[in-house]
Amino acid sequence: MTLRLGRRSFADDATLMMAIVNRTPDSFYDRGATWAEDAAFERVAAVVEQGAEIVDIGGIKAAPGEEISAGEEKDRVVDFVARVRASYPSLVISVDTWRAEVGAAACAAGADVLNDAWGGADPELVDVAAEHDAAIVCTHTGGVTPRTRPFRVEYDDVVAAAIGDTVAYAERALAAGVARESIVIDPAHDFGKNTFHSLEVTRRLGEMVATGWPVLVSLSNKDFVGETLGLPVGERLVGTLAATAVCALAGARIYRVHEVVEARQAVDMVWSIAGRRPPRRAIRGLA
Amino acid sequence: MTCALVPGVPALLPAYASIEDPVADLRAACLAVVGALGPKVRVVAFSESGARVARHLLDAVGAEEVTDGQAPVLVVANGSAKRAPTAPGHFDERAEAFDDDLRRALLEPLPTALGAIDAQLADEMWADVAAIRTLGDLLAPGDRAEVGYDDAPYGVQYWVVRWV
Repeated sequence: MTLRLGRRSFADDATLMMAIVNRTPDSFYDRGATWAEDAAFERVAAVVEQGAEIVDIGGIKAAPGEEISAGEEKDRVVDFVARVRASYPSLVISVDTWRAEVGAAACAAGADVLNDAWGGADPELVDVAAEHDAAIVCTHTGGVTPRTRPFRVEYDDVVAAAIGDTVAYAERALAAGVARESIVIDPAHDFGKNTFHSLEVTRRLGEMVATGWPVLVSLSNKDFVGETLGLPVGERLVGTLAATAVCALAGARIYRVHEVVEARQAVDMVWSIAGRRPPRRAIRGLA
Repeated sequence: MTCALVPGVPALLPAYASIEDPVADLRAACLAVVGALGPKVRVVAFSESGARVARHLLDAVGAEEVTDGQAPVLVVANGSAKRAPTAPGHFDERAEAFDDDLRRALLEPLPTALGAIDAQLADEMWADVAAIRTLGDLLAPGDRAEVGYDDAPYGVQYWVVRWV
């Protein structure tokens, strides 16, 4: 299915890099490196230069921490979205929020995508997406409260749960009036999941792709990579790319990443191995 | 009789398409010369890749392959594949002279020379010339060659030529 993310449409066989841009002082990977608005703007310029099709702007770190009000979240995100939109008219801008109030203001400022990492915790977010003709990312969290860590979560079948919840969320978005081609599902690695769950979701990602909804994966430098390899944040790129390759082979369409260049190369290579993308320039043995 | 020469380069085939076409200029020249042959074309190609390339080029211009002896002829052949250290057959110091002789015979043209290419030397030069011998029968000394392409970008000598 052709994918439409606000002002941009993408062909069925296109893969997309969604670069993470944190307007936070405390996100786990960059530890506030782009907290200052100018630093975040420089990050946008850098990832656009690296070929990212989407920027995902977030004002609240996922992990527990200081309570951030909707007003404070808007202060961090909305004007910044407007600034990015003014400088990059055709860039797809995603906003990482679960709050309808923040999503509405961000869409009004030029956002194309509402990336709800918390699985529909605010039931009105789908209405905001519909009203602004924005795309929505429907994630699976197992029903946890936003910004909580998983604690002794059990599933009979984590993949079945992820498919059931994300497809139900997608149907709810559709019923609310979000365009069918603008709905994406995401199993949400590490959200409401222990490392074994995230590994299984990765291993069986093809089952999510088989639902027909375009699949987004957010793997970058996460704890399931760190725990699997016994590596701290900052040393997880290779593991991230291995997981990325597995998801690409399964057919994931959107990759939420810190390292755009490396992820793009991994996905392009796998996409070509899968026969979905021609080589860049092949002449060896063919001259 | 109208006839044309193109090289049997597999990179011209859709099955081997890249995002960036490594043979864009060659492709354009081939399509132009094959398109000028008309709707019915006889193919002379002795290698498997040469036959595939001919079929593809005819399809691409909407022409039909026929066996009619009076139809315009598409000959698929090329010079040495040993023109450079990076060439498929590596570098052979005799390759350039071999191709120079062949070029002269094609462009003059010299039908007798074309019909008498040294087969053993051609093999050693990794040159696909079997179909070129046919040109010795098809061309007359007064024919005029129009050269659409003459280069060895990957160490293999390609010519795209049309005789009128």
